[in-house]
Amino acid sequence: MREILGEDAEVAFAERRYAVISEILPKVLKGAKPLTRSDMLDKALLNKYLGIPIFLALWWALFRFTFDVSAPFSDLIDMFFSWLGETTSGAIANEQIASFLSDGIFGGLGGVLVFLPPIFFLFLGLAILEDSGYLARAAFVADRIMYKLGLHGKSFIPMLIGFGCNIPGIMATRTIDREEDRILTILVNPLMSCSARLPVYILVGGAVLGGYAAAGVYSMYILGIALAVLMALLFRRVIPYFKGKPSPFILELPMYAKPTLRNTLIHMWERGVLFLKKAGTIIFLGIIVVWLLSSYPWNAVHVEGEFLLENSYLAMFGKTIEPIFRPLGFNWMGAVALFFGFIAKEIVVGTFATLFGLQAEEAEEVIPALKSSGIFTPVTGLAFMAFTLIYLPCIATIGVIYRETNSWKWTLFTVIYELMLAYVVAMAIVWIGGLLGYA
Amino acid sequence: MAIRVAVIGNPNVGKTLIFNNLIGGKAHVGNWPGKTVEKKEGKCVHKGVEMKIIDLPGTYSLTANSIDELVARNYIVEEKPDVVIDIVDSSNLERNLYLTLQLLELEANIVIALNKFDIARDLGYEIDVNELSKLLGIPVVPTVATTKEGMEELKDVVLKAAREKRKKRKIEVSYGKKFDELILKIQRAIEKDEELSKKYPTRWLAIKVLEADEEALKIVDRSTCKHEIVNQLLEMKG
Repeated sequence: MREILGEDAEVAFAERRYAVISEILPKVLKGAKPLTRSDMLDKALLNKYLGIPIFLALWWALFRFTFDVSAPFSDLIDMFFSWLGETTSGAIANEQIASFLSDGIFGGLGGVLVFLPPIFFLFLGLAILEDSGYLARAAFVADRIMYKLGLHGKSFIPMLIGFGCNIPGIMATRTIDREEDRILTILVNPLMSCSARLPVYILVGGAVLGGYAAAGVYSMYILGIALAVLMALLFRRVIPYFKGKPSPFILELPMYAKPTLRNTLIHMWERGVLFLKKAGTIIFLGIIVVWLLSSYPWNAVHVEGEFLLENSYLAMFGKTIEPIFRPLGFNWMGAVALFFGFIAKEIVVGTFATLFGLQAEEAEEVIPALKSSGIFTPVTGLAFMAFTLIYLPCIATIGVIYRETNSWKWTLFTVIYELMLAYVVAMAIVWIGGLLGYA
Repeated sequence: MAIRVAVIGNPNVGKTLIFNNLIGGKAHVGNWPGKTVEKKEGKCVHKGVEMKIIDLPGTYSLTANSIDELVARNYIVEEKPDVVIDIVDSSNLERNLYLTLQLLELEANIVIALNKFDIARDLGYEIDVNELSKLLGIPVVPTVATTKEGMEELKDVVLKAAREKRKKRKIEVSYGKKFDELILKIQRAIEKDEELSKKYPTRWLAIKVLEADEEALKIVDRSTCKHEIVNQLLEMKG
């Protein structure tokens, strides 16, 4: 019976009920409703035509704010690690320990921690938008589109939060009533480009895209959104579990409020501190492993004052997995970075930082070093960025997906579909780039 | 015998406050059988008549999409309370009346409590209570839950409504000629199953079937009328 019915009747019936109500209302309700300031704001922000451009403009402003304001702070952190690296390598006589501290720890960790300011400012901006009551309105505006795309209006906020980090994004799906809608939102949430992937885009984009670096970074965000939408549509169609339509969306719009400094800072801190914790634990460990593998066997790697990375364990391992990535144009360094990146995507950057044997004194020099190494062309660089965006959520996100779906089946499904999708998209970029005459 | 009264309304309309006012604060809290949704019950004696009052979950509509809505709707359909108090936010009639229309379709014996009447007045609204009552064909009582205004009147009206029992409601939402005809055909088909039509309001069930409501489809699926409904639907599709 379901198949015969479709969804026309339900929508038509709901519309008729509202029509009846609007016939009744003028007969019983007198006195013009005075327009409050909140109503006037809503008139503009929720407007059918203006709503989405306003949202896009605000979103763009948020990103500008994030990058522009955070730049001086990143420089400060960079300077701090330079000082730390110089001081320690100067003070320690043992060559292995000095290298471990300055190249491994301060180089790798410093390379990751310079991204702390943009991440905190992104969360600050999000907290302001949320506390002011705008984010709920953004969800309302987006619902019309989301519904058509087979996603639930309430999926929008988890997706937005996913831009910060997929973990709170996935946890925010708990507000979605229907289990099918909820799981679908979880499955596509990792495609929202989280802040951990941003350093990779900045690094690779900055190195190989030249003047188009910013456009490349933005295009990754758009690509993530487009893929999430496509996948949601596809899953809705193909997987019987998701058949049907999202349940109707009713959202109580909170009053507009001036965000209080205290609450906003608390919000920012609660989310941002997760990155700090990650940097102190998983990323830290990952970087140590990368340093160990790239510096040993010590005597083979360090010959007569020269650093021969090609002889390291890391290179051996990288060259073993390199064939998998060869069709995409990534060499063994890219392969290794991606391999360790599944622990946490920041490690992709940390790996490159360590791989180029950089001293902590110039964390900013990873970009020129990557550029001059010539391991990426503009096309393969873009493919690498896309692969980083899609390929696997980090370990912590996989854990949360399991916890929230309570199913190994869905968790495994997410991992596999994203790996396949990443490969296909990266391949497509290389292929299209080749057709257009870029190599 | 005690009168069974259910209290329903959108979230944030002051439903719990009115419930507490009615029962004087002594609620028995439990869970709906097999559900994690909280169930609150209480008693109140008005003019020598005992009323058993039950607080239904706050909902915007009565679809089968969420547990709250299902719990509320199943209680009204299956337990058939003598009176249903529909608490309406006077300052937001448009949204709140949507639930009221669905309750009318459920053929519940409704009394409307126009709550937050003071706020609506402060906002500059003037609500014609009598006209609303006339148009919907059900009693309407203005209330202010925070100051307990209108509580005695509400109890009076509930008692009266319980005595008069259900009479045929005046208002019936017309869904346009094409759908009305279809609803009627399906309603006739459902009425052939006596057991079903005794248990459920037939027009409501017909509407829900057309809306592809999961629970309604399940109900019809078990019935002898299924075959005829499918035929009607196929005919409609041509």
